[in-house]
Amino acid sequence: MATGGRSQPGETVVRRHRPDYYIVLFMGLLMLCGLVIIYAIGPQRANVLNNSYGSNYSDSYFFFKQAISLMLSLVAFGVMSTVSYLWVVKNGSKLLLFGFAACTVLAIAGWANLGIAQESLGATRWFNLGPLGSLQPAEILKFGVLVFVAGFLGAKMKQGRVNEVEGTLLPIVVITGLSILFIIGIQKDLGTGIALTSIIATMLLVAGVSKKIGLIIFTSALVVGVGFIMTAPHRIDRITTYLKGDASSTADAGSYHVEHAKIAIGTGGLFGVGVGNSVQATGYLPEAINDSVFAIMGETFGFVGLMTILGLFVALLMRLLKVMDHLIDPRLKLLVAGVFGWFGAHVILNVASMIGIFPLTGITLPLLSFGGTSMIFIAAALGLAFQLSRYTIHPSRLKEATYEDSSSRRRVGRSRHTSRRSS
Amino acid sequence: MKLELQKGSRSRILAVLVLGVMAVFVVRLFYLQVIQHGYYSNLADNEQIKRLTIPAKRGLIYALDGDKPPVQLVMNETIYTVFADPQTTKDDSKIVDVIRRIAGGNARADLSGLLARKDSRYQILATKITRTQADKIKQEGLRGIGFQQESQRVYPEGSLAAQTLGFVDFSGNGRYGVEGKLNDRLLGRDGLLQSVTDVSDVPLTIGNRNINKPAVDGENIVLSIDRNVQSYVDQALAAGLKRTGATNGSVMVMDPQSGKIMAMANFPTYKPAEFNKVEDGEVFNNGTISKPYEPGSVIKTLTVATGIDKGVITPQSTYVNTDLITIGGEQIRNATKGQTGTITIQHALNWSLNTGMVTVAQRLGDGTSINRSARDIMYDYFYNKFGLGQFSGIELSGEASGIVWSPEALEGNAVRYSNMSFGQGMDLTMVQVCSAFSSIVNGGKYYKPTVLAGVVDTSGTYKPRLTQPLRTTISPSTSAQVKEMTRTARAMVNQGIDRPGYVIGGKTGTSEVPDKNGGYLENETVGTYLGYGGEDAPAYVIMIQVSGKNVLLQGGRDAMPIFADISNWMIDYLKLQPKG
Repeated sequence: MATGGRSQPGETVVRRHRPDYYIVLFMGLLMLCGLVIIYAIGPQRANVLNNSYGSNYSDSYFFFKQAISLMLSLVAFGVMSTVSYLWVVKNGSKLLLFGFAACTVLAIAGWANLGIAQESLGATRWFNLGPLGSLQPAEILKFGVLVFVAGFLGAKMKQGRVNEVEGTLLPIVVITGLSILFIIGIQKDLGTGIALTSIIATMLLVAGVSKKIGLIIFTSALVVGVGFIMTAPHRIDRITTYLKGDASSTADAGSYHVEHAKIAIGTGGLFGVGVGNSVQATGYLPEAINDSVFAIMGETFGFVGLMTILGLFVALLMRLLKVMDHLIDPRLKLLVAGVFGWFGAHVILNVASMIGIFPLTGITLPLLSFGGTSMIFIAAALGLAFQLSRYTIHPSRLKEATYEDSSSRRRVGRSRHTSRRSS
Repeated sequence: MKLELQKGSRSRILAVLVLGVMAVFVVRLFYLQVIQHGYYSNLADNEQIKRLTIPAKRGLIYALDGDKPPVQLVMNETIYTVFADPQTTKDDSKIVDVIRRIAGGNARADLSGLLARKDSRYQILATKITRTQADKIKQEGLRGIGFQQESQRVYPEGSLAAQTLGFVDFSGNGRYGVEGKLNDRLLGRDGLLQSVTDVSDVPLTIGNRNINKPAVDGENIVLSIDRNVQSYVDQALAAGLKRTGATNGSVMVMDPQSGKIMAMANFPTYKPAEFNKVEDGEVFNNGTISKPYEPGSVIKTLTVATGIDKGVITPQSTYVNTDLITIGGEQIRNATKGQTGTITIQHALNWSLNTGMVTVAQRLGDGTSINRSARDIMYDYFYNKFGLGQFSGIELSGEASGIVWSPEALEGNAVRYSNMSFGQGMDLTMVQVCSAFSSIVNGGKYYKPTVLAGVVDTSGTYKPRLTQPLRTTISPSTSAQVKEMTRTARAMVNQGIDRPGYVIGGKTGTSEVPDKNGGYLENETVGTYLGYGGEDAPAYVIMIQVSGKNVLLQGGRDAMPIFADISNWMIDYLKLQPKG
């Protein structure tokens, strides 16, 4: 066994090897599905916007825009899979600061009514970059939090100080609180807020917080979440709609969106109405191209199609888990855990709200929804995970990677079967 | 895919979490997409599919116009209702000005008040304006103004043949007359335009749920009513009523060679275009088909025809007239007294003697009583052959059947049949009597009475229809004898009134009006005249009926002159040639 110096825990030398190309495969397939659906409903979307706002979008506008977003996403993926992860982790704090700065600038610009801050539906979430499109600083912040917390918590993990309140948990609570203040408090974007919380929560979980602290964190997150819901009437509406379940109707303004999503999905049946035959996308279902794209896919591709898409999502998530599990360096492990939390939170929240088993949250379906910033950053995060998949080690070697937590766990729970492959 | 996750590691918790959630998703999606597929498809259809009815055009109604092509008696006209959405209107005072100026009397009174109701989204500003007016208003380019298109019936000839036509009510259904009876043929079938639309109701070409079924317009019907005859008959009736002091009258002119009705006049009348302004709904009824009455002595021609056809009498058969005859304990008297002694049946018809007719009825039996066999013969002729007391089947709504009592019934006794021989004890409509009389003067051919001359097809061509006799009532020889008897009867009483050189015959009738107690009113009688005219073959049969509350009217004095008036005019109109 080619193990290097083992004087310091976690310093196992890992040779760079072939990355996990499944990540690229699944991501690519999902992106293609997204492109197909945007191609199919783009003309209808253009038509709806042209009719209601007098705009002048061409039939292929959305398709080309999505294609460009995909290109940019692939570039982001490529960059993050080549730029040295060490450099990325080292600059975590700078990224985080940049994220906060961007959010601050947006908040100020929005408060001062500057043209650069784009306001829609009573919230300011985007920088308007003119012909370059728009940029959502919350995505930068998400990325910054991901990299910084992974580095910070990973270091604490190496030292076995994860469960220390003052040194470890307090800073993380502060970062989380500050981010939430910006995203939910100022930008009024509950969906992104939950996604960010999920990133941090997944990292904490993987880092090995104790059950007691985990319970405290979970409870306080719940309390804060309920607090946010109670303070916004439109969120209470969504909860009431949710509680009505399938008994809600389209006549009720509050349940219009969810009800139409269910109509779209239900209409699809087993095999769907076919590409280009979606009627719900012609203006009945709000946000058909963005947050509601899953429902349109349900109408177009049917149950079989949605199973395939969910299958791709699960496969991608499982690949991330595999990579995460086989990384030695805790910082990198947490980095992939964060990507998993990010991606998983988006998928689960989006799908759950579209099929009416979770209150509606405005959150994109990664790689499928129309929309630049979100996809570019998700692709960047996946690129990072892809790069890290070069540094996994064989499971048989994991037992040799010794650091306190795992070695202690091994002593308790594992004996002879450690070398057996789990599947 | 082998994940090789470490046992007991937290990555397994995450995997279980994701897979658990996904399992819930799969179950939920299966429920939504497979189990509830029908329910949601239905919701989608309700929302996505819009249906537009393409109204079928109601068939037009034509009248004959002599030898010229048929003319339109009932047409359709597109009219518009102007409405406003007060929430989107701008410059209300201009709207008020424009609507007032162009719609005139069709504009509603308080236009500015209606427009001021800003909480409302629909206010009708003017109704029944023409296409030209609507176009003018459209040109003004007013905001928040809309138009609703409707079709309404128009009647270029005013009240002409009102009861024959009927009208179309506000829900688009024909009422009374041909409009009522032939509603289904006139209606046509509405077309359907069904389309899947987007949220702003713009039709999409998605799926196979789009339907485009064109409308089938209603049939264009040509009445046998001749507008010239009808028009003259209307005048003649009105003038006759004025002369006699009668308040109500009905006239029917029929072609005895085809059963086609050339005119049906009723007074008082109404304008179908203004049917909603009618106060007394009685004017909608067509007196010639819907008001059975005891027609009185005009029926004597039918009794005589029955006797001759059965061979029990000839016009010259004699009987002893004592002005009184007793049947089943009931005394029957003549209205005209003094023609006593041994007289002929022709003489009895000339003087309209009831005893003569009772004698004929007796001779149909054993010669002294109106026994069962006599009654069976009379019933066979009156009911089965002449079609009295049953629906004629004319293409007009509201026909009444009247009643002729069968000998089978308790009421069909000898007393009743003695009364029936001179036109009492049975309720008949004019159209029944007219059709029966036509068969008596045309050689014995019974035609079903009809107001339909044919149709105008979609290319605008008139397609006449031929009528066939339904059955034979009497022999040609009987027909010739009765025709001659009525000519003689008329000629004896009404010398110099008819145009010379033509064969014109007829019979008066003065009917008593039954009261509530089974007797007859003292102060009210109905005058009837039934006759024919023409060259050797009769060209027209005319029946006149005049009545009025508490007015005593006589067939000879009050109804006959109207017959003569119309008859003489018909000779000219039909260009009949006098015998040299």
